[in-house]
Amino acid sequence: MKQSFTITIKIMFLAFATLFFNACSNDHTLSNLDATVFVRHKGADMPAYIKGNAEEKLFLITLHGGPGGLGLGFRGNAFKQIEQNLGVVYFDQRGSGLSQGNYSEDEVTIDLMAEDVLALVKVIKRIYGEDSRFFLLGHSWGGALGPATLLQNQSEFLGWINVDGSHNPKDLYFEYIRNFERVAAAQIELGNSVPFWESVYDELDTVDQNLVTLDDFNRLNRLAFDAEAYLNDDGLINNEETGNVNTSDYNVLTFLWNLLKIQSILDDDIIGQLSFTDRLSEISIPSLILWGRYDMVVPEFYAQEAYDNLGSSEKRLVFFERSGHSPIFTEPNLFADEVIQFINQNK
Amino acid sequence: MRRKSLLIFSFLFQFTFLCYGQNKSENQTANTQLSEHFWDRTEFKAGLVGTVFWSNGLSIGAEYLWKQNEKTKTRRGTLRTNTHQFLFNGNLGFVTNFSSKTDTGAYTNFGLTWRRTNKKGKQFHIELNPLGYYRTFLPETYEVIGNEVDKVFLPGRGYYAPSLSVGIGKQRKGKVRSGSYFNINYTMRTPYNSGALPTFSLQYGFRFNFKNKKQ
Repeated sequence: MKQSFTITIKIMFLAFATLFFNACSNDHTLSNLDATVFVRHKGADMPAYIKGNAEEKLFLITLHGGPGGLGLGFRGNAFKQIEQNLGVVYFDQRGSGLSQGNYSEDEVTIDLMAEDVLALVKVIKRIYGEDSRFFLLGHSWGGALGPATLLQNQSEFLGWINVDGSHNPKDLYFEYIRNFERVAAAQIELGNSVPFWESVYDELDTVDQNLVTLDDFNRLNRLAFDAEAYLNDDGLINNEETGNVNTSDYNVLTFLWNLLKIQSILDDDIIGQLSFTDRLSEISIPSLILWGRYDMVVPEFYAQEAYDNLGSSEKRLVFFERSGHSPIFTEPNLFADEVIQFINQNK
Repeated sequence: MRRKSLLIFSFLFQFTFLCYGQNKSENQTANTQLSEHFWDRTEFKAGLVGTVFWSNGLSIGAEYLWKQNEKTKTRRGTLRTNTHQFLFNGNLGFVTNFSSKTDTGAYTNFGLTWRRTNKKGKQFHIELNPLGYYRTFLPETYEVIGNEVDKVFLPGRGYYAPSLSVGIGKQRKGKVRSGSYFNINYTMRTPYNSGALPTFSLQYGFRFNFKNKKQ
């Protein structure tokens, strides 16, 4: 009896040790990176998942959407190809994904989140050397956080890649209304999903046309995602590839709780308030603007606005003709080609 | 109006009193004389804990029987005796997410368990642990203060983590492996990202009483 108890204790100790070792191991081999490091900055511990081939010490820092999205949410066929060319840093922003910490709601601002990104740059330099070089990519909400970061310090980055980014949430609500009217008219004329597009007009009648409220904004935002589903059904947007994030990577309950929390904190400061349009001219690094032609969530109007206002002498605007808000997943090969080409030209 | 209210209150009071009297006459409660030896009243437990899809791990703990009584009642003409116990309870556990390395933690909590055991040894219990601490263990972590970047030793964060478990079990009277349990657990971690994070987990394990002789 005593012997079996001792064996049980030994097995349990070994199990604990294995679990602990697994939780702490990292692979920093530059040619095949697979590391998870945390950035501790101003009360938050934020995970950065570093993957890919960084033999040239070249890193692409990605900023997810949301706010409250997932760093690893970018992963899929497109980023698999990008990872072969440089190190990709997938970052769970403050209050998102599996970030944790202890700070007050009042402390959370977009400026602080931009500082977090610059803190991440310092950490990567500390691990892989001061000669590490960076590109910055932001999708959706990341398209607002990107300019916020670059306006604090763009000298750290060789280039900026804006993917369907929301640099101007201040006017997004009114552009939703204009864009819905435009797309609905075109789709009804084509005879595509007519009952849905007619119902869009009904929905537009129920929202305030002159004043932004969070409720109305959220209704139109949800409607935008629904509209993309109908555009997909009608064959205008490609099917999204699956398998972009493993279920086991994120505790769904923690992710959802973080998502709701960070959105409740930031929404009032973003929706109808935040705009970088007037300051985009201060961004002078090479820029690539990638947009889905049928993006209903951040309409294509903002692609042209970003292109026209960026101060970069070297800038390029690319529309993906069979994509909505996420060309990363609907036209992954084309997307990867554009990103890799831009990086090779500017590294 | 006032008289009507008075009548209603009077009726409700009498109804409550009579119902209580009725229960009293049908239910009998007898306190059990417990052994004075510490080890006779102590059971250990070990089990698996986790969320199945994400963080999973091991949990060990101990329970000390504080009070016990036997309640006998008649239901559908049959005499039924259930044992009710109050136990002091302490747990220590470790969980990790094998996939992401970002969800590793250890916890300890202490509190009180109420458990009902029927004649067949089937158990139902509620475990309230108001004293709880959860410590996350992060992988390689760097702290950035201004331009200074320092590697953090034993990185992680501590949270106040009270918990509540509801579960079922089976008693094996007189045996070393004295029972098994299955719990659904709710734990709150605070302060977590400017709020309190609710977490849910499942626990399955066995209880041991090393004073019992039968295997």
